Amino acid sequence: MQILSEYFKKDHFLSRIDARVKLLIALALLVMVLSYHGFVFPVATAIICLFLCMAIKVPLRVFILRFSEPLFIAAIVVLLKLFFSGQDALFSLNIFGAEIVGHRDGFREGLLIGTRIIGAVSVIAVLGFSTPFTEFMAGLSWFRVPKGFIEILMFAYRYIFVLFEDAQVIYQAQKNRLGYSTVRRGLSSFGTLAGTLTIKAFDHSQSTTVAMVQRGYEGDMPMLKHKPFKATEVTFSVLFVIAMGVVWKM
Amino acid sequence: MKNDNSKKLLLLPMLLGIFLSAGNAHAMHISEGILPFNWAAVWFVVAVPFVGYGLYRLKKMSETDLSFKPLVGLMAAVVFIISCMPIPVPTAGTCSHPCGTGISGILLGPAISILVSAVALLIQALFLAHGGLSTWGADIVSMGIVGSFAGYFTFKALRSMNVNMAVSGFMAGLFADWATYITTSVELASGIRGDSPFMPLFWKILIAFIPTQLPLGILEGAMTAGMVVLLYKKRPDLLIKMRVIKTEEVAL
Repeated sequence: MQILSEYFKKDHFLSRIDARVKLLIALALLVMVLSYHGFVFPVATAIICLFLCMAIKVPLRVFILRFSEPLFIAAIVVLLKLFFSGQDALFSLNIFGAEIVGHRDGFREGLLIGTRIIGAVSVIAVLGFSTPFTEFMAGLSWFRVPKGFIEILMFAYRYIFVLFEDAQVIYQAQKNRLGYSTVRRGLSSFGTLAGTLTIKAFDHSQSTTVAMVQRGYEGDMPMLKHKPFKATEVTFSVLFVIAMGVVWKM
Repeated sequence: MKNDNSKKLLLLPMLLGIFLSAGNAHAMHISEGILPFNWAAVWFVVAVPFVGYGLYRLKKMSETDLSFKPLVGLMAAVVFIISCMPIPVPTAGTCSHPCGTGISGILLGPAISILVSAVALLIQALFLAHGGLSTWGADIVSMGIVGSFAGYFTFKALRSMNVNMAVSGFMAGLFADWATYITTSVELASGIRGDSPFMPLFWKILIAFIPTQLPLGILEGAMTAGMVVLLYKKRPDLLIKMRVIKTEEVAL
């Protein structure tokens, strides 16, 4: 498992910007990318985000990992639209006696969706690469996301790493004892692994509760207090969103 | 001509099936940006009341049990890890990933399970690029709401007919997975169809998912059965606490 945001250099100009500001910019850009009916804006957004990733020195391997799946999905959508949508024939292929027709208008529709995917993924990638999870959660509480949801998010994030280590130990032990040598044994082993993780989760939740109650927990966890917004950050963000809005309107 | 059309109808989804099943596909997650703004908003609107009800149930349950919030958080971590674990799909010759919402639906009930899925999906979207922020609503609807309810009701219905734990768990996992994939197909078809009619595209996407999702559903069923049986044998107290079984059932 790779929590990709943990892989990059954390101290850079983007990580020092208030998480709330980054969230607001990201949401504004997402809305613009999703509601745009052309190629220019998503491509421009993706290019800006690519430069930002380079500027904050995101390792190439991490970058490729992050974008491989969305790029693959974008390619699938282009193919899907090319062959299944549209009227205007662009080319035809004969495979095993069946004629497959690629359509010009379908291809254009596919490209529109494909660039939208890349644009939107780029925005979220920059947000993920530049915002530590704790700050992200603090930002969510400022957006009035219900406290219960953020608490569950905090517990989950804290214990993903603990449980993942447990899962790795169990998986290696099962593998060493040929637990995955056949599909049938693999399924049985996987069920045992998942069941054991559930038991461990339950036990951890009990011990965590005892420890928290000893420290004064009464059912609600305190949230981070927010610092006031910095005028320079807010001004720059508003100008940036307005500039992107102008490109979006063109 | 008719013969040629029928060949084409079969051949094209097969080709797409090969594409969709290649590599480590997270086929259940709808990728960031794939849905246009209006459809992304629609699925958010559908998801919000369910998540709200989940939060209400969480508040009620945690009033009487202080360990309930940590437990739900930890279950979200388990669902996250399970849905990141690669399991082999023999027919596709590759690995795919279970949803884990069937089992959380059985253990925590559908309302809390929706919350668990929402949390796991948000972490995956932000840090692993599986799913997305704009498609979070759609992913909650397919994996969280439909998956959890399908798993929960299948398990409850079979248990009420005295079907044994393993078969009930298997069917719950199977239907949770397949119901999720049908809903994902609906969401994808409605989101990317443009001016094309909905139904033909829906069927094509549904058929294209078959090489991975049909066996994956069976694998998820087997995994869910394994989990439920393990808990029943080793820690029936957990199943009693989570109101999956009654105390008398263990005594039997």
